[in-house]
Amino acid sequence: MTTTIEIGSLRADKPGRFEGTLPVGALPDGAPVELPVVVLRGPKDGPVLWIHGCVHGNEYCTTFAIHEFLRSVEPSSLQGTVVALPILNLTAFRIHKRMSPFEGMNNGDLNRCFPGNEKGGFTERTGHVVYRALKRYATHLVDSHTAYTADTSWALYADTGGEVSRVGRLMAEAFGHEHTLPTPVGTLQGSAMMTAAGDGIPSFLFEAGGIDDSFTPERVKDVAERLRNLSRAIGLLAGEVKSYGRLTTFSNFHWATSPHGGIFRPTVKCGNTVAEDEPIGSYYDLFGDERVVARAPASGIVLAIHPGPIIPQGDVLIHIGLNPTQS
Amino acid sequence: MAKDIIVGTARSSAPGRTKGTLKIAETPDGSPCDIPVVILQGEKEGPTLWLHGCVHGNEYCGTYVIHEFLRGLDHRSLAGSVVALPVLNKLGFQAKQRMSPYEGFHGGDLNRQFPGNLGGTQTQQMAHAIYEPLKRHADVLVDFHTALTPDVRWALFPNAGGKVGALSEKVARAFGFNSTLPAPMHILAGSAMMTAAKDGIASYLVECGGRNRSFTDETVLDAAERLRNVARALGILEGKVTDYGSLTYFSDFDWVTAGEGGLFQRSVRCGERIEKGSVIGRYYDVWGNPRGEAKAPNAGVVLAIHSGPIMAVGETLIHIGLNPREA
Repeated sequence: MTTTIEIGSLRADKPGRFEGTLPVGALPDGAPVELPVVVLRGPKDGPVLWIHGCVHGNEYCTTFAIHEFLRSVEPSSLQGTVVALPILNLTAFRIHKRMSPFEGMNNGDLNRCFPGNEKGGFTERTGHVVYRALKRYATHLVDSHTAYTADTSWALYADTGGEVSRVGRLMAEAFGHEHTLPTPVGTLQGSAMMTAAGDGIPSFLFEAGGIDDSFTPERVKDVAERLRNLSRAIGLLAGEVKSYGRLTTFSNFHWATSPHGGIFRPTVKCGNTVAEDEPIGSYYDLFGDERVVARAPASGIVLAIHPGPIIPQGDVLIHIGLNPTQS
Repeated sequence: MAKDIIVGTARSSAPGRTKGTLKIAETPDGSPCDIPVVILQGEKEGPTLWLHGCVHGNEYCGTYVIHEFLRGLDHRSLAGSVVALPVLNKLGFQAKQRMSPYEGFHGGDLNRQFPGNLGGTQTQQMAHAIYEPLKRHADVLVDFHTALTPDVRWALFPNAGGKVGALSEKVARAFGFNSTLPAPMHILAGSAMMTAAKDGIASYLVECGGRNRSFTDETVLDAAERLRNVARALGILEGKVTDYGSLTYFSDFDWVTAGEGGLFQRSVRCGERIEKGSVIGRYYDVWGNPRGEAKAPNAGVVLAIHSGPIMAVGETLIHIGLNPREA
């Protein structure tokens, strides 16, 4: 074995499964915030697949999927290593929120904080501690997210050129969510994916399921199988790589916020094709009367849609993949 | 002979549809909390059916059901009146919380504060503002709630005996949710249902769907049709009353809180029969290891079960209908 992997209290210096914690901060009562870390190390060296979840605290589907994946992989079958941090934003995770409750002033979106700041806010410090270990060990990054609804199914990879783009595309095809954005430089700055790509680490991000309890046990099993397929594609697991078919890729995405507040009922679902100005839902007042129709701000494929039942002005209304192309 | 039905600014003294608002509280910036009121008074005389929803602010399914029912209703076809308050706890509704965010000390559960207290907490004052017109105008009360998951469907009526008990049971059979608790008069003190029953108003409480977005369009449409069936049974709407068949009655319910915290995945569905000691879900730690099984503390029918994905000690784990019998 060439390298000992040390992350927080975890020390993996031989084949097997290891568990530990990574301290990333302290609470107002002085108690430490310690993130769970799992390492599965194979008998032979190979790629180090870093996978993390719950970057946004209420995206529990990702934690469940990572756990399911970890339970399904026998360390002795690995040629290489899996490093998994199933819950990055632990303080938000505890309270069903996207962001940490200890974040009031600074950049609270952990996926815009990488590579982090050792002397920054609560979230920036988490970003720093996590990214330091990620950069040191990872040869491949898989980041996991959800959108709003259980039918969310799409993905992104860092398309920053060269080997990063080639391997990113390989992971995207092996994971096989049809709707995929090859993410250009300049988009999603501060995300783990684009930051790692900037450091030469091929990076992939999937969106599966919705926030809180908006996901099914079937979805968790499906994602775990796709992660195994991705592991096969990068040579971490033996076996034939399954083909999920061709990808439909986008030139970019359009992220529109809600111009109104009120009771909201969407009329489109994830994966639907929409044309600009087509109705995507309606706003209602508290008496139950329809107030105004919401319309698509661009043409493309619905990647995420606000499910209602209520929406404040300025909440993310719809996320559209632009210029879908079979490739 | 038309009735005078006055609820806040909604004043109905002739056949027709009237909208208005009822002021139930003031917020810290001094602005009023005005909740929506819709009154439909028919051409012919008949009973007054009072409907309300979102007693708990994040139980949006009830608001949707009442709105759906109101949209399909023409006052000219009514013998009697419908008074609908689709959003009682508007401050909780806005914040996606069960209780008002301004409620800090006690008495925050609106469905334990009726008939209310003008000198009490914010929620007790809200209850007072709502209950006063309810008591004055309602002949029959139907109260809409949700539990945690989309598959929730059960109901309660006050087992009050006499005319109130008989009319309440008639409503229960017309709504026709199979799992039904003829509620012993000592439980749920301070609920709108029990308070109204003690004041001679027949009442019924529906639990359908889950909180937040955990409900489907089908559930909303189904509940609105069942509500029309209640209106037919009361003679407010014309037409044949649908027979939903026999019901399953319980002697009482067992409301169980979680003795453990962690990631949680349920393994039973609402409506399922369970035995004492049978597995109802599983706990996992943050590394993904199974921590233990949650077991049913009693035999009966699952009325509600925690949806996961995370659980804190003391959260409501399961709600079991005891001693089910066909009725």
